[in-house]
Amino acid sequence: MGEFARLNFYCDEHRCINCDGCSVACAEAHELPEYISRRKVITMNEGIENMEYSLSIACMHCTDAPCQQVCPVDCFYIRADGIVLHDKDKCIGCAYCLYACPFGAPQFPLDGAFGTKGVMDKCTMCAGGPEETNSHEERELYGQNRISEGKVPVCAAMCSTKALLVGDSAKISDIYRERILSKGHGAKTQPYGWDVAYGKKL
Amino acid sequence: MANTWGYGAMTNSLGDIQNAKAIIIFGANPAVNHPVGFQHFLKAQERNNAQMIVVDPVFTKTAAKADIYVRIRPGTDIAFMYGMLHLIFKNGWEDEDFINDRVYAMDDIKAEAAKWTPEKVSDVTGVPAEKLIQVTKLYASAGVGTLIWAMGLTQHSIGSSNTRLAPILQLALGNMGKEGGGTNILRGHDNVQGATDMGCLSDTLPGYYGLSEGSWKYFASSWGVDFEWLQGRFKSSEWMGKKGFTLARWWAGAINGKDGNDQIHNAGTGLKNLFVMGNGITSIAQQAKVKEGLDNLDMLVLCDPFVNEAAILTDKQDDVFILPAATQFETSGTVVATNRSVQWRTKVVDPLYESKTDQWIMFELAKRLGFYDEFTAGMKIKENKKDFTWPEDATDEIARIIKTIGLTGWTAKRVKSHTENWHMFDQISGRGYGKMKGEYYGLPWPCWTEKHSGSPVLYNTDRSVAEGGMGFRNRFGLEHDGTNLLAEDGSAPKDSFIEGGYPEINKDNIEKVLGITLTEDEKAKIGKNWKVDKSNIIVEKCMEKGLAPYGNAKARAKVWTFPDQIPMHREPLHSPRADLVKEFPSYEDKSNHFRVDTKYISKQTEQEWVKDFPINLVTGRLVNMNGAGMENRASKYLAALSPEMFCQIHPDLAGKYGIRDKSMMWIHSPEGTKIKVKAKYSFSVSEDRIFIPFHFAGHFQGEDLTHKFPAGTAPYASGESANTVTNYGYDIVTQIPETKGGLCRIEYAKEEA
Ligand code: SF4
Ligand code: SF4
Ligand code: SF4
Repeated sequence: MGEFARLNFYCDEHRCINCDGCSVACAEAHELPEYISRRKVITMNEGIENMEYSLSIACMHCTDAPCQQVCPVDCFYIRADGIVLHDKDKCIGCAYCLYACPFGAPQFPLDGAFGTKGVMDKCTMCAGGPEETNSHEERELYGQNRISEGKVPVCAAMCSTKALLVGDSAKISDIYRERILSKGHGAKTQPYGWDVAYGKKL
Repeated sequence: MANTWGYGAMTNSLGDIQNAKAIIIFGANPAVNHPVGFQHFLKAQERNNAQMIVVDPVFTKTAAKADIYVRIRPGTDIAFMYGMLHLIFKNGWEDEDFINDRVYAMDDIKAEAAKWTPEKVSDVTGVPAEKLIQVTKLYASAGVGTLIWAMGLTQHSIGSSNTRLAPILQLALGNMGKEGGGTNILRGHDNVQGATDMGCLSDTLPGYYGLSEGSWKYFASSWGVDFEWLQGRFKSSEWMGKKGFTLARWWAGAINGKDGNDQIHNAGTGLKNLFVMGNGITSIAQQAKVKEGLDNLDMLVLCDPFVNEAAILTDKQDDVFILPAATQFETSGTVVATNRSVQWRTKVVDPLYESKTDQWIMFELAKRLGFYDEFTAGMKIKENKKDFTWPEDATDEIARIIKTIGLTGWTAKRVKSHTENWHMFDQISGRGYGKMKGEYYGLPWPCWTEKHSGSPVLYNTDRSVAEGGMGFRNRFGLEHDGTNLLAEDGSAPKDSFIEGGYPEINKDNIEKVLGITLTEDEKAKIGKNWKVDKSNIIVEKCMEKGLAPYGNAKARAKVWTFPDQIPMHREPLHSPRADLVKEFPSYEDKSNHFRVDTKYISKQTEQEWVKDFPINLVTGRLVNMNGAGMENRASKYLAALSPEMFCQIHPDLAGKYGIRDKSMMWIHSPEGTKIKVKAKYSFSVSEDRIFIPFHFAGHFQGEDLTHKFPAGTAPYASGESANTVTNYGYDIVTQIPETKGGLCRIEYAKEEA
């Protein structure tokens, strides 16, 4: 990751097949209660010819994050790499952030204010929270911290079709640009063949 | 497939689909059933401008990605494919040279196709004539096209005809043996190809060797046991050569013709014991009969990581044993992918709790039954060992014995080196580089020798045999009705010693066909033919001459031993079109079909089914589940995605019956069974059909049986099994059940208190 890298998500609409690999991987990895959807796959116009499409959505880790601006107890913080996190010890569960968030990302527990994942829960981009990195407390409250281990967030790693891309926004653009530029240029077999097979020169 | 050109397996690979210019999918939903493999379809669209055509009774997630979607009436694929062939021949779009050199009896197909005008096809299939024309034109002119299918094509009473006509369509267009072409059947589960290759079938020995005495003798000596001992395990010697029961109808054996059930032919006795190892028998057709079969057993043994729901389906109280089997993560060994390639799977953890690996269970069982030494003898032969190492010696035993599909090259050492070096292979062609040069990833079979590259594209004559090239297999004789069945000149694989066709190689013809003289020593060692030649001399000599040991023949469009010599449309046993039943009736009833008398025409004409059962019933899969859903419903997060059994129903159809979205509804089958499920409004289905997933179990005809689970073992989600209402009906050749084209009746289910 470069010095000024900002981490972002991108979900390629042509590729996403609504398989829920991403959302299940997220829930499983962070041991979320079933009613918390850090990531959700949305399908529009289901069953209608030429109209159906799907997208996988989570917190988009906004640069100018509205959730942070409206939070009355100022529990949000934005890391240098652009990941938007919040402090569950400060959070009061007022749901103001949900009003502000354009993506419906913040999630709230059903069973009382202090469910297993705290007052408000949302995608952490697999980067844990303010507790000590990789501590038991961090894991309990925020789930795995994969970013600290140099791993790709689990949803994107698990994506069946590589519709869901995550990482340095410049890298994501590169990947997507490559997809666009290779359109119609044929399958990409690596350009080497064999000159030997079966142990002898052919 | 095997009856068309020699082998019944995916001809190309998932990666190779990226080379296609057009993709036509019949009765398969890879976006749901093969989500990871589906990226190759998407990449073919992106990079190759491939046009994707989906032919399916239901608008699936795959259809959502298609360029053209064709909504077909269930069970009418043959009519549709003949419609395509009609247009292909009429417009001269066929590949004449390919047909002439490499196909037998295409003229018979042409004659039948002539009858299937677009208008006729439209009447039978429900597909508008213009759409058929659009699809055919696009597919025939796109360049190389690949044809995909899965259970939607096979699970019909005419399934074996469906799976012959699809290859014939590819043959007509010359799409076989080409990168980006082929018939790519998608195997539904992990290692299905491997299980089939190893003979988990009731009519073959491992490796598709038949049940003849010659095959048994080859195995007896290869396993290191006496033939007479093997024979002595059967009631009498004649039973050794007979097909057994199938998974689809084992229960008929247990019911033994009681209460008007189909009669069996099983040496005068019914089935008494059932041993189930990792099979969701709660997702096979006719669940009410499965239950009856289970209830009639003396003993039932179920080995699974989770409780097999057969245990709670049955009313049987005694002698039901549930053995805790380990998962694939708790053991190691080979696994075969859909494209005939092999991988090594390493153990992740030791078996948890009291669970035991499958091999442990089988070894212990063999010990208790007193044939452990015979059971394991084959693993010690290669190096004349005192004891064996599992699973390496088992893998080497397979490589040593199975010649028919060319597993000779699959030694444990080689398979491991592929898996360990998987990064050194191209993702699309499978070609290795660096130290893996000269080999294709996973050595897709046939892999003729311990040095052979593997064969990524079957029947490809652009490559030499050494590089995985080959013609069609010579399996059906040298001529039929006076016509040559061997390939014509100019159609041999690259670098072949022979220009055109040649027969399969055996001891008697090897010197003549290969133009060689064997030494006396070789003559003494060589086996009768390439399939049973333990010395592998035949294969080695063939390799030197660039020949495929199985010959180079024509594919055949006509199978003279089948009830329909060329594929013919026949209406499903339960058809919504009474008029077409008269025009395209089913087969005569078949006695002793895998030991069970099986009804066709008598069932089809028992009554005019559509009068009482006016709606088509289609079953299929969900992305979060597979098979009977045992493991998936035991996962909290997977179960949460579909916590309840449901039925997709068009709002207009539902409206007619007063069924509201999310209300409960009954589905009744012609067999007198019923299930109660939640209605889910959907536009994926049209107004004449409903769709239900088959992964649920635990409820039976309205009754919740989950209280019968041993404490703490119930899954997170349970529900009615779709297969309680799938209809009677079995394929005429393979006996696969007709679950993809039945009828039903629906009604609103009152919410009781
Ligand atoms: S919670 Fe919503 S507003 Fe806040 S960063 Fe995420 S997407 Fe943006
Ligand atoms: S980045 Fe991590 S926390 Fe966020 S949706 Fe993906 S898996 Fe869940
Ligand atoms: S895993 Fe990928 S393809 Fe599947 S739903 Fe998520 S983003 Fe879409």
